[in-house]
Amino acid sequence: MTETAPDLPEAANRRFASQAFTSGLTVPDFAACLQMGLEPVGYVQGFCVMQWGWYGLNSPYRRGISPYSGGQGGYMESWQCPHGFVSNEHRSWGQNYEQSWIEDAWGQGFGTAYSRMLEEAAAVGAHGVVGVVDTADRLGDLGVLEFHLRGTAVKVTDAPAPARGQPWTTYLAGQRLAKLIEAGYMPISVAAAVSSVRVWAYCMTEFLLEGTSSTWGMQPAGAEIIQVASAQMAARQIAREHVRAQMAGDSLHGAELVVSEHQLSEGDQEIQCLLRGNRVRRFKDFDPMPVPHPTVRLS
Amino acid sequence: MSISGQLGDPPPTPVDIKAELRRAVGTLHDPQPSKMQSMTSDLSIDEELILHSVGWEPIELVCGVSLYSVPMGVWNWGQGEITSASAAYARAFEGAIDRIHRECAKAGGHGVVGVQVDRSIHRHHIDVTLLGTAVRPVGAKQVDAAHVFVSDLSARDFTLLHVSGWQPLGLAVGASFVYAPRRSIGVALQQKSQNVELTNFTEAMYAARESAMERMQSSAITMGGTGVVEVKVTEGPMDFARHAVGFAAWGTAVRLVAENHRPLKPSMVVPLDDPMTGFEATALRGN
Repeated sequence: MTETAPDLPEAANRRFASQAFTSGLTVPDFAACLQMGLEPVGYVQGFCVMQWGWYGLNSPYRRGISPYSGGQGGYMESWQCPHGFVSNEHRSWGQNYEQSWIEDAWGQGFGTAYSRMLEEAAAVGAHGVVGVVDTADRLGDLGVLEFHLRGTAVKVTDAPAPARGQPWTTYLAGQRLAKLIEAGYMPISVAAAVSSVRVWAYCMTEFLLEGTSSTWGMQPAGAEIIQVASAQMAARQIAREHVRAQMAGDSLHGAELVVSEHQLSEGDQEIQCLLRGNRVRRFKDFDPMPVPHPTVRLS
Repeated sequence: MSISGQLGDPPPTPVDIKAELRRAVGTLHDPQPSKMQSMTSDLSIDEELILHSVGWEPIELVCGVSLYSVPMGVWNWGQGEITSASAAYARAFEGAIDRIHRECAKAGGHGVVGVQVDRSIHRHHIDVTLLGTAVRPVGAKQVDAAHVFVSDLSARDFTLLHVSGWQPLGLAVGASFVYAPRRSIGVALQQKSQNVELTNFTEAMYAARESAMERMQSSAITMGGTGVVEVKVTEGPMDFARHAVGFAAWGTAVRLVAENHRPLKPSMVVPLDDPMTGFEATALRGN
């Protein structure tokens, strides 16, 4: 039934070699998979524990002394104080910039856990992995992040070996997966990416975030906080660009965007956007269903 | 109301899902990617299919964000409406709507459906985030940002509106922030042992709710709408200033574009599925 994969823990190889299969599917999803010719062959998973030094001495994550020290390629915008020199504490410049090293570290952690999950799937001879669940949780207070991907490896009845030996993957399972196939889409892989944008507030942003100060006479009573709005838009845009780069002409279906903000100090924050979804490819021509007829349930 | 095949219609040709799956898996051996246009969408497969059924398609995940400052000191005790906060709320929505309009138009969309509206009110700023999927009639040409609609209706509700001859026009929004009225010490002492209506409270809250609704309605009229559907109303004191109460209302402005409203005439159905879907051990205890 299975090949022995040298990189997997011994227990995993023993588990896959046993006669029983394991599955993370609910009973309805399990039944739906069998109905469409998908045979669960094993619960597969991949892990990766990552650490990256955000505040190392030479880390560009720290606030620098030059307004132009942050950018490492990618998105960057700078703002200049309109007041001239006021004091050493005055935020005479501000900057938004993409923290590509954080995005890369996240991608490395996710990608490694993903490839390990695929390795397990390949070890059980699966064509695909359905019902994928991914998490990235902090391990206690160690300051490290554990990426965990798991799903149910499946074989397609009477189908040839997977293309290029690479199983396909999807967050969907059961009825939703059946509808996707029926609608003419084949899942290719799960797609996920993180964007990270750092905001170093300049004086006007700081004043507006803390309540407009009319002392400076530069802003009306209320004003849009352009620097932060711009960073928020950029973070979402970058996450979409990263995922689009994984699409290679395919489509992203059932996307989910999760945004988190971390206040690192007054006027200094990080905006992180995680975008995930199913990369799908149309395998048959567009064939819209007829206009549905509405019904009212009487119970 | 749910959507399903019409009772009495001839049953659709059953799809051999196993054969379809094998066909789909077979295409993975073809290194050529799909020739269809790439899209990104947060719609479910059901929503996408239902959009396709009325000739629309999703094209791009789009968003709009705006933060608008609230001047220092406006939450301090006062009388009547906190106009700076009400204005900041409106400006934050305008900024976010303007940005999602532009993203939608740039992607070639004619509108955005299923918009998630996230609002957060802080002491010194009000943040609004909108996220949804840009859609257009299949193969339609690009339109100007000014002609794009933004709607928090789901793709299913958009389809229902569409088939009944209505068109969404945009998000209609209204808000009003007020100070909870204060009583003089004399009045407070006088009323302490009475069962009495606090008319100043009633009137202030009543007026604020009506102001929020009126502003939402005015914004719908400005867009050319004749009504607002799926109105959400939120209200409550501010976490950081319990004496200040905010009322907000938003929904999708709509207008009839067909000559007459086309009734949907839904069929009545009695589902035969048993609501009891699982075995519960507690049922054995006779509770």
